[in-house]
Amino acid sequence: MFFLKNKFNFIVVIMFLASCSSMNVTEEQVYSGNVKTVKASSSTSNNINYDSMAVFANATVYFEFDKSNLTSKSIQTLKSAVNALNENSSIMITLSGHADERGTREYNLALGQRRAEAVSDYFVLNGISKDRITVRSYGEERPLAYGQDEESYSKNRRVEIN
Amino acid sequence: MKKILLLIYFLSFHVISELTLEITQGTEDPYRVAIIKFSGADKAATDIQKVVFDNLLRTGEFTIFDDEDLLSIPQIEEDIVFNDFRILDIDFLVMGQVKDDGLNVAVEYQVFDISKAKKIRTSTVYGIPNKDRQLAHYVSDGIYQEITGIPGIASTKILYVTEANNFKLLISDADGNNEQVLLESPEPIISPSWSPDSKKVAYVSFETGIAKVYIQDIASGKRDVAIENSSQISSPAWSPDGKFLSLTMYQDGNAEIYILNLKNKNLTRLTNHYAIDTESTWSPKGSKIMFTSGRSGSPQLYELDLKKFNSRPKRITFDGNYNAKGSYLPNNEGIVFVHRADTNFQIALKYFNENFVRPLTDAQMDESPSISPNGNVIVYAIKDDGMGLLSGVTLSGAKFRLPASKGAVREPAWSGYLK
Repeated sequence: MFFLKNKFNFIVVIMFLASCSSMNVTEEQVYSGNVKTVKASSSTSNNINYDSMAVFANATVYFEFDKSNLTSKSIQTLKSAVNALNENSSIMITLSGHADERGTREYNLALGQRRAEAVSDYFVLNGISKDRITVRSYGEERPLAYGQDEESYSKNRRVEIN
Repeated sequence: MKKILLLIYFLSFHVISELTLEITQGTEDPYRVAIIKFSGADKAATDIQKVVFDNLLRTGEFTIFDDEDLLSIPQIEEDIVFNDFRILDIDFLVMGQVKDDGLNVAVEYQVFDISKAKKIRTSTVYGIPNKDRQLAHYVSDGIYQEITGIPGIASTKILYVTEANNFKLLISDADGNNEQVLLESPEPIISPSWSPDSKKVAYVSFETGIAKVYIQDIASGKRDVAIENSSQISSPAWSPDGKFLSLTMYQDGNAEIYILNLKNKNLTRLTNHYAIDTESTWSPKGSKIMFTSGRSGSPQLYELDLKKFNSRPKRITFDGNYNAKGSYLPNNEGIVFVHRADTNFQIALKYFNENFVRPLTDAQMDESPSISPNGNVIVYAIKDDGMGLLSGVTLSGAKFRLPASKGAVREPAWSGYLK
């Protein structure tokens, strides 16, 4: 008895010889798996408006491990951001959420998003139109500090406002 | 009778591009196998045999005897003195002949059962030019299957991400050799995942500035975004039949799990909770989805029964303060996941019929476990002195490291069988 598999352009033939029922006889051909390399170019819409930056300095707020609630210190930072946004109604902002490297990458991506959404919610509650805000997360993929200690981790758990 | 409690093969970890085998503890009752020096084309025979040795040793299930350990060295089948092997408590004998006609290499090998004094397998593998390692992987898989009754995984592949000057999605043999680039990007790439037929990969790329899921054909390089949508999309996982992709969508601001029908692009929402829901994965038969959720206050694993209408997620991890990125064993007898009991992140295993967690690793920052298609080995990412590397652990307890690639290595994903 033998069967053929053609799926990957190679053939496996397995014959169970009747005369020698307990011996396997096989023949196979190594499959040549071709790999094509793709080069992605960055199409990041990272155009920061330098006019607006003159009046609205970038700000960063920080978080506790696995938390996305705003600390009182963060709220102080965000209050001045709200004032700047109210004074310059043409400014659009991007909120980028980040996490430290502890824990899994996808969970941290979601956590970074939650942190950015928490900042967005604060702005909206304080009268800033949602249309002016873009929210995104980089999870743990864009650390600012590379050490494996709490000092580095605390710098990485952040939302950047640009 | 033949217990070897501790096998230590320790090669320097500083040798880059060489496989580093660190078998700290193999199985308590390994198969004792003699592999006679393969005859024929000298250079090719030595190289092929070395790869076969390493592949079998890495499983942790074998004690291997070479010519120097043996009482007699048969050159042909008729010369085998089975008693010389019985005295050494050897279970199986392997002989091989390498044929090299200058263009192609082929290996014929035979496996003998010593206790029965009988040949149990004779096989021929035909190679293709410059793929002698591949040929050796096929030989080891044949030997492994003949002896253990389980398919070998030496001829399977691993997908992983590296970060150096840019980000790369790479594919290599299961032993970390034969590395090839699938994607190069200036922006992060995360969460690589194989289609069940191992012809395509799905991954998350940040090349447009936000996380998006792409599907790429390995051979042609043709790729598409899985869903055209302005919000962030991540964490792709293929259903076992290849027809669906589960993923995490952020369209209402929070991470929720959806199933995408790849044919008609219909989306079905699976979760609806203000906490994070992500890292979905399918059970071997596709009837359940396991995912990570923060709904209890810390990340824990939950399961959804797809066969029950409106079924509610059932929490399945209770030990530890962080349990995430689960995957099912191929035989559906348990799950492997990232587990934190106190402060260290470990790879852990939980069998469904046991009420405790078995930690498989003991470092501080182990993550991204991926299970071999035969269910015997788990490859995962480690941090060594801040540097990302790949390691493996077998369910029998053997540990090994894969050769260091350039840059920080992370997020390994094991293919299915390629045959």
